[in-house]
Amino acid sequence: MNDGVVFMNQNLFWPIVLIGLVLFAVFIWKDWTQQKDRSFWIKSITIFLAISSLVMIVLRPSTLQKTINGKGIVLTEGYRPAQLDSLKSIYKRIRTEEYSKGRTLSILENVDSLFLLGHGVEPFDLWQLQDKSIAFLGGEKVEGWTAITHENEIPLGGVLQLNSRYSNPKEGHWAVLADNGGNPLDSVLFKGIEEERITFNTKPKSSGQFVYSLLEKDTDANVISQEPIPVQVVKGALLKILMINTFPTFESKYLKNFLTERGHEVLARTQLTKGRYKFEYFNGASNPIYGFTQKNLNAYDLLIIDTDTYAGLDSASKEIMEETMKTHGLGVFVQPNERFFNFSKKQSPFGFDRDFVTETTIGEPEQHIQKYPFEFKNTIKIQEVLVDSVEVAAYVPMEKGKLGTTLLRNTYQLVLEGDTDLYANIWTSILNKVVRDFDALADWKALTTTSRVGEPFKFELRTSLNDFEIHTEEEHNIYMLQDILLSNKWTGTQYPRKTGWNQLTVSNDTLSKYSYYVFDENQRKAITLSNRLKTNKRQFGNKKGFTSVTSASQKEMIPIPSFWFFILLILCLGWLWLEPKLVG
Amino acid sequence: MIGAGAIKQFKKRWQYSKYLECLLYAVGFGGFVYVLSHSILFALLGLILTIGIALWILKPWKIRSENAVHYIDAHLPQAGFSSGLLLSPANELSDLSKLQQYRVASQLEPVLSKLRPPHNLFKAALVMFGLILFGIAGSFILAKFGNLTERGSSNKEQISFAPIDSIATAAKIPELLQTSITIQYPGYTGKDPITTSVANIKAVEGSRITWNLVFDGNVDEVEMDLMGEKISFKKFQDTYRLTKMLTASGFYSFTFKDFDGNAYVSDLYSLEMVNDNPPIVEIEGLDNYSYFEFDDDKRLMFNTNISDDFGIDEAYIVATVSKGSGESVKFREETIRFDKAVPKGNKQIQLQQPLDLDALKMDPGDELYFFVEALDLKTPLPNIARSETYFAVIRDTVTDAFAVEGNLGVDLMPDYFRSQRQLIIDTEKLIAERPNISESDFKSRSNELGFDQKQLRLKYGQFMGDEAEMQAAAGQVAHEEEGGHDHEHEESEDDLLDEYSHEHDSENEHNLVEEMSDHSHENDEEAEDPLHDYVHNHSDPEASTLFEKSLKAKLRDALNIMWDAELHLRLYEPAKSLPYQYDALKIIQDIKNSARIYVHRIGFDPPPIKEENRLSGDVKEISNFDKKEDFDYQMSFSSTREAVARLELLIQDKKEYDSEDNVLFEAAGNELAKKAITDPLTYLKVLQGLRDLEKAAIRTKENYEYVQKNLLQVLPQVDENPKKKVNYYDKINELFLKELDTYE
Repeated sequence: MNDGVVFMNQNLFWPIVLIGLVLFAVFIWKDWTQQKDRSFWIKSITIFLAISSLVMIVLRPSTLQKTINGKGIVLTEGYRPAQLDSLKSIYKRIRTEEYSKGRTLSILENVDSLFLLGHGVEPFDLWQLQDKSIAFLGGEKVEGWTAITHENEIPLGGVLQLNSRYSNPKEGHWAVLADNGGNPLDSVLFKGIEEERITFNTKPKSSGQFVYSLLEKDTDANVISQEPIPVQVVKGALLKILMINTFPTFESKYLKNFLTERGHEVLARTQLTKGRYKFEYFNGASNPIYGFTQKNLNAYDLLIIDTDTYAGLDSASKEIMEETMKTHGLGVFVQPNERFFNFSKKQSPFGFDRDFVTETTIGEPEQHIQKYPFEFKNTIKIQEVLVDSVEVAAYVPMEKGKLGTTLLRNTYQLVLEGDTDLYANIWTSILNKVVRDFDALADWKALTTTSRVGEPFKFELRTSLNDFEIHTEEEHNIYMLQDILLSNKWTGTQYPRKTGWNQLTVSNDTLSKYSYYVFDENQRKAITLSNRLKTNKRQFGNKKGFTSVTSASQKEMIPIPSFWFFILLILCLGWLWLEPKLVG
Repeated sequence: MIGAGAIKQFKKRWQYSKYLECLLYAVGFGGFVYVLSHSILFALLGLILTIGIALWILKPWKIRSENAVHYIDAHLPQAGFSSGLLLSPANELSDLSKLQQYRVASQLEPVLSKLRPPHNLFKAALVMFGLILFGIAGSFILAKFGNLTERGSSNKEQISFAPIDSIATAAKIPELLQTSITIQYPGYTGKDPITTSVANIKAVEGSRITWNLVFDGNVDEVEMDLMGEKISFKKFQDTYRLTKMLTASGFYSFTFKDFDGNAYVSDLYSLEMVNDNPPIVEIEGLDNYSYFEFDDDKRLMFNTNISDDFGIDEAYIVATVSKGSGESVKFREETIRFDKAVPKGNKQIQLQQPLDLDALKMDPGDELYFFVEALDLKTPLPNIARSETYFAVIRDTVTDAFAVEGNLGVDLMPDYFRSQRQLIIDTEKLIAERPNISESDFKSRSNELGFDQKQLRLKYGQFMGDEAEMQAAAGQVAHEEEGGHDHEHEESEDDLLDEYSHEHDSENEHNLVEEMSDHSHENDEEAEDPLHDYVHNHSDPEASTLFEKSLKAKLRDALNIMWDAELHLRLYEPAKSLPYQYDALKIIQDIKNSARIYVHRIGFDPPPIKEENRLSGDVKEISNFDKKEDFDYQMSFSSTREAVARLELLIQDKKEYDSEDNVLFEAAGNELAKKAITDPLTYLKVLQGLRDLEKAAIRTKENYEYVQKNLLQVLPQVDENPKKKVNYYDKINELFLKELDTYE
């Protein structure tokens, strides 16, 4: 048990020992005359002892001992007073300390077993409790929004889908999603079950940085709570589209009309006869295309091609097309006909199963749309495109680009029937998936879900840049940590200074800005609590007892109390004082 | 007379207290009136009136000494019921009385002054305070309601200006002293001009509106901003005047500059144009379709109700008579005046007019379409309205079926097409039941079926133009043949195949009729009618171009087969008859289906291709075709959407308000104003808010939020449009996809 003595003031060891020796020498020299005397030896020993105790008082020797500290209670937010009371009645005079985040707990020095009450400590304070035996007893039920998730950045025209969970809602209360102006967009009535899962869908009407809000209202429409929903709506850019058809069809014509009327640059080529084409240039398109080259295909974001042209491409053209897709991200959409569904694997990457269904219903009110009697084979690469949870199309990623097709036929009937909105919806959904995207320089991702002022906000940056600096709004630099294995993955931490929108910028790319929202103390409380609860549970487990204390981690250097040395010193000094008198 | 003075004094006190009571009531009521009306005059009037009434009721002067004596006797035991003695002169009293008088006087002396006369002062004071409190409460409520109405009206009535720049607030703002707006309705409406100060105007299309503004102080330039269009006021002495014809709904505001160059802008007001509605014409007492037999009294009686918001100018019946059918149909349009003159300018008139079909020279088979048209007084162009169209037909037994089908496109296929199937079902039933029924019963039912089959055949025969009495022989087509040949000659443009197909598909395919008779007949007819080659004879069903030749032949086939079917039924052999019936049914089904093809047949007929050019593979003359077109696409309400984002920046304090914002908000306002015309109420608030942002004083965060909220409320959804997005292609993902490609 005693592994040896270690001096607490090890650095003073030699000077003190030397001084002690000198002192001892002086005393010996002073009494040297009584050398013959028997008392000289006794005196010398007493002096040695006295000086040794003085040295020890200064050096503070200590031994490694198993700590024999008691139990303590750490109170965190949301503890149950009743639980505290019953603990206190079992363990009389137990030490208690209230936790406040970021501050070191002083109780930790004196206890080795802790009852942790309430929702637990912040994840960034967990290190403090690392070596202790913790019984995490939990706290009161978390009430309120325990999860709010949504895309932070959505394109204008896209859908903002908000998934949320509310714990222990009151029956009759309402959850209301309101836009940044405070106009209610959608609402759901709480049913009073333990956990309500609510999904809201809305389409933002304008681009920009907005803070929507998720309100809880009581039966009298008073606002009970308000959670900000920070959203960035970004405008997309118009497309450059190349349409190649062997012969005109209504389907192509209406698709072309739809795209051109929406402002996209479209070059449509329809074959008239051998080697003769009808070229239609819309919205500024120019330069006819006869054969595919990397260069002329690369100028387009989307190639819409009918089955006959697709099948009729010579191998060189096809290779060029595929290469452009793979390396430059061109999107290709094949307008199918019956033949397309019977293509071999070599001819098209899609696989189909016949399902004999020739009609599907989409939309509200329901619209019947003709479809080819096939469905997509369920393989890894095929990504489905759903409209109203109906599989209407699919695409196959070709490295950077995508190859897409649809099961629907004669969708132009919708336009004829006057349902242009549904037509636009279907084609927007399909083409949005297939079309080529802008190449961004950097991709940001927040690792901290709920950031607050003064708390670390961790984020991840993926970029192919190597030499860059990250600036905050206050023009401070943030130093980034590069991942060892993935050279383009970086992580960083910032301590935001203000609530609301904060911005990070890459020094040499002003375009690549990242905005994140910092919540104030009263917002997203339940989420933070429930997250904290989860983290603490994960850390300490759910059991109510203490984990056994392992000796290695529980041993500590305990100095031998100076008190004993002091007594020895007094005794020695007393003897030295008394001895001459006794003799005398 | 000792003590008499004391009693008189008591009487006086009594009277005074009564007067005081009156006064309290009066003050109470006066106060009530004052608090409510805030007018001293009314209060005084009320006071005096109440005093009068109270005095009249209480009559304080009527209190006499006797009353006082009675009261004192009743209330003071010291008086010993003898206080009356005090009033009597001493010389009239007996000694005993004198003694008593003296005693009472001495005893009353100390007490009487303490006796209080009966009074209701407390009650009166309560009433007074009550009335005043009531008045205060009333005035409070009035103020609340009054405010509401006043605020509403002040918003409308008083045009208020606010400076655009905040500097101007230091200087004296020229004030608008007087506004008068004159609305002159168009002459035909017969409405008197209206003069108002309400700036939100609602008037009939074509009204002349004159704004007269009188300013106090120096004003340099007054303009009206009518949805982005600036119109200057003209100055006449002190008045600024602008006259405008109301041609469209919209919004307007006034702006003016003072001589220091500070600009001021007013609130936004709506200018709502009420359209002069066209007259409403209703015809009563008539079915949409009327049918007449040839020998009926062919008169149509109906009532016409016409109403208009400003007056009817004229009304008449437009009748169209169609003669013939198919392509030879001829139309004749006539305008028939009502017998009774239409009184001009009436808002509502009821007219009655019989229509005599004979007077319109209608023959059997002719159709009459008519409606009533009415014009209102609107200038320069009157509104024209017409009633629903009504039909009247004089039945023509021969052409009826075709006329209906050919002219109206209404599917009036007679339901006896179904009865062949019914016959088959009955026949099968009869065969099935045969073992269970008696021989005679079986025979009679079979015979009945045969009769039904005959009926059916006859009806189909009508389709072919067969006369009922001609049914004695199968395929009685003698006179129809000519039709067939006529057809041949006339209809070359109709069916190119005719020339090639006729020989095989003629109704005489089965050679049931001798060709000879036709030819003689035809020749006769040709001799009779030299025009025959050039007219399209629609009265003859056989010549109708609606059915192809083969169709007629099919129908003829069906009739022939029906003959066989009937024959076997009549011979009590229903089982043998069945196959024929099935054949007939099949053909009839065919005919029904081909009749539907009729619609396609009148579609586009491509010109015949020259044989020598076909399949030659010569594309020399074909060249590339180029077409260039540009669409100016703007997202709906793009400025408004931009404004929402800009407001967000302003709210978040990320941006200062500058002139660029002014331009944007104005553009957004103009965008919304277009939309607002249809629904001014919802948009006025938004537009007002946007316009207000021009005023410096209004640029606060709250206002930004208010405007943004309203904008978001009226903005429609974004159009669906595929867009290019920003995306980061991660190397790892790319590698992964590449590997996936390789190993798949």
